[in-house]
Amino acid sequence: MANTSNSGCTVGSSAQASEPVAAVTPLGHTATRDLRIADEHLARVLRGEDFLLFDGAMGTQLQARGLAAGEIPELLCLAEPEQITQIHAAYVAVGSEVVTTNTFGANRSKLGKAASVDEIFQAAIACARASGARYVAADIGPSGALLQPMGTLSFDEAYELFAEQVRAADAAGADMFVIETMADLMEAKTAVLAAKENSDLPIFATMTFDEDGRTFLGTTPEVAAVTLSALGADVVGINCSLGPSDVAPLIKRMLPWASCPIMVQANAGLPHVEDGRTLYSVGPDEYCAAVATMVDAGVTVLGGCCGTSPAFIAGEKALLEGRQVVPRSISQDFCVTSAQQMTAMPAGHVGIIGERINPTGKRLMKEALRSGNHDYVMGEAISQTNAGAQILDVNAGLPEIDERATLVRLVSELQGVTTLPLQIDSSDPEVIEAAVRTYPGKPIINSTNGKRESLEAVLPIAKHYGCAVVGLALDEQGIPTTAEGRLAVARRIVDACDRLGIARQDVIIDCLAMAASTDQSAPRAILEAVRLVKRELPDVRCVLGVSNVSFGLPFRPLINATFLAAAFGAGTDLAIVNPMSERLMDVVNSWRVLSGEDERAQAYVAAYAQRSDAKPEGGRPASSGTDAQAASAQKEDVLASPEDRVRSLVLAGRKGPVADAVRLILDDPDNTHDAMYVINKVLIPALDEVGSRFEKGTFFLPQLMASAEAAKEGFSALRSDGSANDVPSKGAIALATVKGDIHDIGKNIVRMLLENYGYNVIDLGRDVDPQAFVDVVVERHIQLAGLSALMTTTVPAMAETIALLRDQAPWCKVMVGGAVLNPEYARMVGADFYAKDANESARIAAEVLG
Amino acid sequence: MASTLRIARESYRIKGVSTDDVLRYLGYHGQSFDGQLARRIDAAVVRCLTLAKPRGTLAAFYVHRHDEKAIELEGCTLCLIGHDICAHLDTASEVVLFAVTLGADIDRELRRLSLTDPLGQVVFDAASTALVERAADAANAHVRAYAAQKGAFTSWRFSPGYGDLPLFTQRDLLAALDATRQLGITLTPSDLMVPTKSVTAIVGVHPTPQPGLESSCSICSLYDFCTIRQTGRTCRG
Repeated sequence: MANTSNSGCTVGSSAQASEPVAAVTPLGHTATRDLRIADEHLARVLRGEDFLLFDGAMGTQLQARGLAAGEIPELLCLAEPEQITQIHAAYVAVGSEVVTTNTFGANRSKLGKAASVDEIFQAAIACARASGARYVAADIGPSGALLQPMGTLSFDEAYELFAEQVRAADAAGADMFVIETMADLMEAKTAVLAAKENSDLPIFATMTFDEDGRTFLGTTPEVAAVTLSALGADVVGINCSLGPSDVAPLIKRMLPWASCPIMVQANAGLPHVEDGRTLYSVGPDEYCAAVATMVDAGVTVLGGCCGTSPAFIAGEKALLEGRQVVPRSISQDFCVTSAQQMTAMPAGHVGIIGERINPTGKRLMKEALRSGNHDYVMGEAISQTNAGAQILDVNAGLPEIDERATLVRLVSELQGVTTLPLQIDSSDPEVIEAAVRTYPGKPIINSTNGKRESLEAVLPIAKHYGCAVVGLALDEQGIPTTAEGRLAVARRIVDACDRLGIARQDVIIDCLAMAASTDQSAPRAILEAVRLVKRELPDVRCVLGVSNVSFGLPFRPLINATFLAAAFGAGTDLAIVNPMSERLMDVVNSWRVLSGEDERAQAYVAAYAQRSDAKPEGGRPASSGTDAQAASAQKEDVLASPEDRVRSLVLAGRKGPVADAVRLILDDPDNTHDAMYVINKVLIPALDEVGSRFEKGTFFLPQLMASAEAAKEGFSALRSDGSANDVPSKGAIALATVKGDIHDIGKNIVRMLLENYGYNVIDLGRDVDPQAFVDVVVERHIQLAGLSALMTTTVPAMAETIALLRDQAPWCKVMVGGAVLNPEYARMVGADFYAKDANESARIAAEVLG
Repeated sequence: MASTLRIARESYRIKGVSTDDVLRYLGYHGQSFDGQLARRIDAAVVRCLTLAKPRGTLAAFYVHRHDEKAIELEGCTLCLIGHDICAHLDTASEVVLFAVTLGADIDRELRRLSLTDPLGQVVFDAASTALVERAADAANAHVRAYAAQKGAFTSWRFSPGYGDLPLFTQRDLLAALDATRQLGITLTPSDLMVPTKSVTAIVGVHPTPQPGLESSCSICSLYDFCTIRQTGRTCRG
């Protein structure tokens, strides 16, 4: 897989080196929410016109006063309110306009039974008010648990934790929220949503970064700035992390990408211990000198984090004395993000949206979505990423499946295999909202159109969640035939976006490619429409899905490629295409030279210096390593029958040549061997032999799995040429790692083996809610369920799942496995079978299902 | 002398892990296997070393109260409960807590592999388990150097979940180290750490040599990270 996760930002082909091309834009940030703003000074701060000075550390001050390691500091708001007020007052005395409440960890899950969230916020805000500060900011830190899919906290649970804090703080009289020290962009997004949906107070949101310029979870400053400001945070920035001179370069990377004011609260360097006292490496003077460079770059909201004291704030106060806000230039690039990567394109650059994750007209994709086995989808995502896609379209629109659940799951899984930003593709606004709400980044919504009903349903979602949005140039009357007609619809869409405050560069008009074979004037009309939209609606972007144009014509890729070149020439910014099509990517790469996007044609020369139209020998590309291996393997085994070859390849765990060998069996002119023959007489016996070697200890686990992999190649070969279509499934098995447990390796091994034996495995993943598991078993009337748990703490969840199964799906047999289980324990939790390893699970499946 | 070990965050440069360790985590016991699998294991180790950011946070606390069932620490809310930990630390005057992690990129890679390559996931998981143990060795070497400097000796590292020390100890231990802020280690409600390749440990500082201290530097698992040897001495005196 290409090393996409290492590139913080792709600006067309020239990566993040290019400075955003933008005129100096006075910030003039206007929140479109109706905010409750304490006074005119704060309003000016939020417009980027005035500085605002926060306070410094609370935790370090409490530690200096004897707070024990691990003690819950928030409880001191109740126990020793005078102490807390004293700390606030010391900051106010040196010039802090805002004091931040002592509520960093005051959520229901961290406080437990010690105190209620309401109590703490009431007390903490009272302490802050008593200091005489001009403004009181309610502090909201991370929940302490990690969100799904890496952790087990669900979006809804996290949202509720934050929403409770927001409501408590608002009721207790806070002036604003500071959501801070976030390392997970999804958690930051959840907190911002909870704040904006439960209060109308301004939101300040900051994340914490590591020495390598990313958060612990891999978010870059650019991604944080784009995503959180699009989402509606009123000020974004960086806190904690590092000393100010290490934070400065990171904050400078944020400045061009946030459409709101920028805030910084760095640490006073690194802590060390001297004579039992914790000291920090950076003093107030050095600290303020570094902060000054950030103010000169356009930062307007200041304060301090760990290790800072009133002396630091006094220095910042002096620093701001007599200074004017430095105007910033904000990028006008089109940009979207995933949690780890930004795809940004200045006007004039072209971008590729991969179209392959869409069931329309694709048999294998339909099968994958219907069965819930998403291996194929993940494969398509990886191929498109490697082929040069910059954004991936994701569509799960099949009438017979639950589109909402499928799309949400796909969006989550895709982030496991690609860091590209996603385009959420659905015609159902509810499905769109479910997907973008839980997407950690700024996606594109595909799509709305000129119909009033669609605009009213989709645009508010785009605005609320800070998404870019595709608008199709059609309306109640259908697709206009003329360029002017399409422009008129586009204008209506753009006007509606303008009214909602959606930035022009986030609006992408699709002028809709139509088949040249039905109306030969259509392609010209489309290109003319693109030209008109670009001229008449400045800053708006255009997208085209080109493949429709060739419908009904032979050798479609050629027509598509020619049309794509013309579309780029007309001003199209984004193309929805199959990036695995070499011909199309040739057009893209060569266009980037002609347009000047590929500076000094560097990328082109690197990729094409060796290319020519001469066909490589044998009409195939130069032989790759695996081909060479396959050839040598063929030589070795040339005397063996194809059946023996497949068998020995499976036993040796060599998947490369298996598919060819399987095809040899099917193609044998003397026999009429079908898929059933290959499965029952060749693959399954080979797997049985593998299982017996594993049993005897002559194979260890990786060998068992390598063999399973090789056999899987054989099954895929049968499936991809359609010969396995009439092979009946041996029955369905539901698998899951139980609620609370995130170890899925054992379950994945079992799944691999059972699939090979011809079972339809429904893998519900890890950390699976008991009732959700039972629902699937009931809905599909599944006969055998497999549950895995690795930790003693999660075995009760296994027992609970089995109890629910007994009650609601009494027909279903249950096998369990995992490191902490044994036959006795398995009986105790109520299972029918204990599977000591994957091999055993295949034996159990054969016993139950045949 | 005051308890002075408090390292908010340190990084460990680890150049490799032993293939024997990786194979052990893969359940290997002497089977013969081909070069293809061996290359896959080597590749997983290289990828693991590339993606991992081995880091740790450490803090020492004096023992405040010690009986056969519980140990309380000075200036720390963590209470160590259970006969096993109490016996283990019976002569300790001071206790060092540490947490190490390889970071979230390892979990992300495991997730990617779980969606695309089950065998790759198994092998990568074994490689990263071997690596996080090395990171724990590195932190432990730091503790041993700290003890040696005081003329004291350390006991082997004990973790929540060993013996009768409950797994929920994890919560207070991580809080005492501020490990979520320093290293990004979080805890699920079932007390599992995420990033999953993380280790927490409790090491006692004792007046006399403790069992398990290797009698020779060459076989010591902390050899690569030892700072005492450079001074011409050993932790045994």
